[in-house]
Amino acid sequence: MPVTHIRMDNRLIHGQILVSWNSALNIDHLIVTNDKVAEDPMQVTLLKAVTPIGVKVSVLPIKECVEYCLSPEAEEENIFVITKFPEDGLALIENGLSIDTLNLGNQAFVRGAKKLSNSVYLTEEGVKALKKIHEKGINLTCRMLPKDSKSEFWPVIEKNFPE
Amino acid sequence: MIGIVLISHGGLAAGLRDAAEMITGEIDQLECISLQPMDDIDQLVDRIQEAVKKVDVGEGALLLVDLFGASPFNACGRLALAQQDRYELVTGMNLPMLVELVVQREGLTIKEASQIAFEAGKSGVSRLSDKI
Repeated sequence: MPVTHIRMDNRLIHGQILVSWNSALNIDHLIVTNDKVAEDPMQVTLLKAVTPIGVKVSVLPIKECVEYCLSPEAEEENIFVITKFPEDGLALIENGLSIDTLNLGNQAFVRGAKKLSNSVYLTEEGVKALKKIHEKGINLTCRMLPKDSKSEFWPVIEKNFPE
Repeated sequence: MIGIVLISHGGLAAGLRDAAEMITGEIDQLECISLQPMDDIDQLVDRIQEAVKKVDVGEGALLLVDLFGASPFNACGRLALAQQDRYELVTGMNLPMLVELVVQREGLTIKEASQIAFEAGKSGVSRLSDKI
């Protein structure tokens, strides 16, 4: 399985990824995937500028990310995928990427969002996407850093957003 | 005179200012921004732009951040790339870098100031056993 981790994190590539996750997982390809980000040349330039030694960085729209991860080229790699929102995570799965766990990294506070941890605030829309992910039998975790618990996070989300 | 904005994870920026002012006295045209776990990165970009407006009197501003590739760096990057003649971004901010900059900043262009910050930051790291 080339994709070892999928993280939903508004901050995309940042300190926690470059320092903590990179050393814990020995990443050799970081793929940032979000349709809007992939269309913004300045953001793509910046994301590629921070490539640590030995790590390849790609910025791809969701569909191309899935196509790449399923390609023979990806088989030899240890890929860490970063999406911006839960909706992106769901789109990866719906476009055919299979993985057993999706992780919530940072989700910033936005209007109407509810606090689930110090760095994860979710909106009703985000929870809808996470529910669909959960219903597909995929585990959800909430790990800002590699040392954080891998316990299933869906019950916490459900408790905070009762129907 | 060029302005300075310090942007860090947590309270490092304000702490660095506090430390530098013990050495140089009160520092003008300087703003500090702290990134907290819950903060939205788009808002961080707005806060940086506001701070830059406050310190830039027409000669530009130097943006100092704590860690290459991290969120404060990413948030400044867009501004620094868009107006390269006016803003420079230097990473790995430390006390030698800031005090050297503050002491020398009068009359410097943004490019010169960034070079001084860069050199002072690097040469400010040393090991005692290499010095004796």
